[in-house]
Amino acid sequence: MRILLDNFSKSFGATKVIENMTFEVGHGEMLALLGPSGCGKSTTLFAICGIHRPTGGRILFGDRDVTDLPSQARNIGVVFQSYALYPHMTVAENIGFPLKVKGMATADIGKEVDRISGLVHIGNLLGRRPAELSGGQQQRVALARALVRKPDVLLLDEPLANLDAKLRLEMRSEIRRIQRETGITAILVTHDQVEAMSMCDRIAIMKEGEIVQIATPAEMYSDPRTAFVAGFLGNPPITFLRGVMANGAFVIPDSEIRVPLPASVSAPEGAKLMLGVRPEHFTPTGDISAPGNVTFAETQGRENLYDVQLNGGSLLRSIQPVRHDVNIGDAVTWAIDSKNALVFDDDGRRL
Amino acid sequence: MNTSRMLGLVMIAPAAIMILLFFLMPVVLTGVFSMTNMTTATGISGGAYQIAPHSLNDLKSTMPDIAEQMAQPRYAIDEAGMKAVEGLGLDAGIATELRAKHIGDVFQTRREAERMIKGLDQRPSTPDVKKISEQFNRSVVNSRFSSKEELFSALDTLGFKLTDAQKDSVADVTYTGWNWTTENFSRIASSPDMARVLFNTLLYVALVLVLFNTAYAMLLMIWTHYMPSAPATIFRSIWLLPRITPVVIYVLMWKWLAWDTGFISVLMGKFGYPPKNYMLDNAYNAWVFVVLINGFIGASMGMLVFSSALKAIPKSQFFASEVDGASRWQQIRYIILPQMRWPILFVTCYQTLSLLASFNEILLSTRGGPGKATEVWSLAAYHTALNNYAGNLEYGLGAAMALVLVVIGIVLSLGYLRIFNYGTLVSRPLIED
Ligand SMILES: Nc1ncnc2c1ncn2[C@@H]1O[C@H](COP(=O)(O)OP(=O)(O)OP(=O)(O)O)[C@@H](O)[C@H]1O
Ligand SMILES: [Mg+2]
Repeated sequence: MRILLDNFSKSFGATKVIENMTFEVGHGEMLALLGPSGCGKSTTLFAICGIHRPTGGRILFGDRDVTDLPSQARNIGVVFQSYALYPHMTVAENIGFPLKVKGMATADIGKEVDRISGLVHIGNLLGRRPAELSGGQQQRVALARALVRKPDVLLLDEPLANLDAKLRLEMRSEIRRIQRETGITAILVTHDQVEAMSMCDRIAIMKEGEIVQIATPAEMYSDPRTAFVAGFLGNPPITFLRGVMANGAFVIPDSEIRVPLPASVSAPEGAKLMLGVRPEHFTPTGDISAPGNVTFAETQGRENLYDVQLNGGSLLRSIQPVRHDVNIGDAVTWAIDSKNALVFDDDGRRL
Repeated sequence: MNTSRMLGLVMIAPAAIMILLFFLMPVVLTGVFSMTNMTTATGISGGAYQIAPHSLNDLKSTMPDIAEQMAQPRYAIDEAGMKAVEGLGLDAGIATELRAKHIGDVFQTRREAERMIKGLDQRPSTPDVKKISEQFNRSVVNSRFSSKEELFSALDTLGFKLTDAQKDSVADVTYTGWNWTTENFSRIASSPDMARVLFNTLLYVALVLVLFNTAYAMLLMIWTHYMPSAPATIFRSIWLLPRITPVVIYVLMWKWLAWDTGFISVLMGKFGYPPKNYMLDNAYNAWVFVVLINGFIGASMGMLVFSSALKAIPKSQFFASEVDGASRWQQIRYIILPQMRWPILFVTCYQTLSLLASFNEILLSTRGGPGKATEVWSLAAYHTALNNYAGNLEYGLGAAMALVLVVIGIVLSLGYLRIFNYGTLVSRPLIED
């Protein structure tokens, strides 16, 4: 079921958290809401599930305006950031609760609970109470409770934050599989860009109550609209060089680095610019050489990560296949891949 | 003993003394009093021996002869009488002769004594004989003796020769002080009045507890929970008023409401009903008022306890349950009430005990009336021991009634502690050492 937020605004008293946000999640699509802490992700989610009433705008499920409908009438499953399990109920009772309030027969509830708890691997914990579970187990109970009623819309507020790396990987694909199979429209709130990129059809990046860009993960990575988006996606993160426009090229004053810019980039002569270079685009094989000293080196197993202090003082990051010939303090002359460099104006807007 | 333990004992000494003085002593004293037959008549210090008419009555059944004799005056020629005779201003020879011949004699009747006086050599005149005999008139009836010995020596000088067994029963019936006895308890167990009072007490505790202290308090909690917070605070404060108003004034307001010139009477007067005291008009009304008065005072505690327990439930649980599709009623039924188990139990325990022990609201409003319709156990104990119209306060019986209350309280507390299952309440510390 399609979700449409139309000019949605939310403020708490005098605190404006979200103003005039508009976006759409298509039927069966999974959208990631990605953004730094406090940017309004949970607030948006709460408005979609009906806990918070919007202070302005409309929310549509399909063609139905649900802006003023209570949560009970929306058929949504939510995994809350704090799990919000019922401490006095066992795991089975927690999961079965949405069915119980619907008036489903106890035997049927039992069957559904068994099925869904197998799906999230907590079949052996059904008799326990939430206080007797680990954080990750609680999260899976919350997920099971959100899924059990076969909701039209699934809202996940950082559902994997507490899982260990292996389980997180497993749950990622599990959630994605369930979402695909059931065709539920889902919104996933997360801090974790890897999670967002790997699980979702599209990503919406939020900053201070606004959506900066909505796009598929690949588009977002290669074509970020702002420096903020470019900085948010990618691990290890992008690095920025500061310079000015000079004769159709990006130039760092007092250094020999000069990156010619495509004609499409229009900026007045002398304007301040930022050049975003992703670590994979600063390697020995680039076309604009930028000599400097290695100040940091780290191996990540398959790849090595280096920070290079350029002669002018700026910093660039490089990621390369494992090699053993470069150490901290060594002088290197690696090069920027100018075709893939991203140019932003001083306010961070992409040029 | 090492010094730290010594220090520990010193530190808890004041607390121990306090506990002893203010917690244990009252109970112990109540226990002691309850095993006596103390009343206003006996006093609470030791008594005296007095051959009162009622004690002679008592004696009649066991020793009819002696009781009969004691009821009559005797004539003992003693020193005190001699002094009085000397003061009569008669011929001095009479007194001298009397003293010489008859001092120490005891005459059973007036006639015998007067015959002896007439027979004196000095020959007193008939009016003088009467005057003289009057000086020796000695009756044991209504005289007080501070000890058994004095009683017996007085009886002895009057010529009552009693066996030891007889002495014992005379001492028994003439003793005006209190005795040790278990009679209070058998009276409590067998008296139909007490059964009635017990029934009243159970009714009172059950009605106030169930209707107000828990159900009504719970209603207030839920009501204020779903209100915006500002009006909720205002309403909570209003519902606290009965609790913080001095009880005398609060009850007085109810009385104003119910008096024959009060609000209800005036209102009903408009419909042609004659004015009356609605509170004391009949037992049914009295009960309604007693329950209402206590209920509105008592409900505030439950409201506070329940409200704060409710506040302790994380908001996210309400959010989750709404999203899960639970209606408001289902939220109350499945989310709120199950998590109110301990608060409810706590309020039930606490309020049962305080309802059992408190009677001031009833005392101030109905005084247990009309008749004894609203007399509850603690009020009955108070009336028996400390305040009644008949004037003879039965401290012993009252103390026994209070003791019964204490025992019921202790038994209930232990029972409640069991239900609470202390082990689960005192859950394992989060930080283990
Ligand atoms: N009930 C509230 N009253 C006032 N301000 C609120 C309230 N709830 C949230 N806010 C504010 O709104 C902003 C957005 O909060 P929100 O919880 O949506 O952040 P978030 O993006 O989910 O962050 P996180 O990733 O840390 O969970 C924050 O600045 C927060 O302080
Ligand atoms: Mg959040």
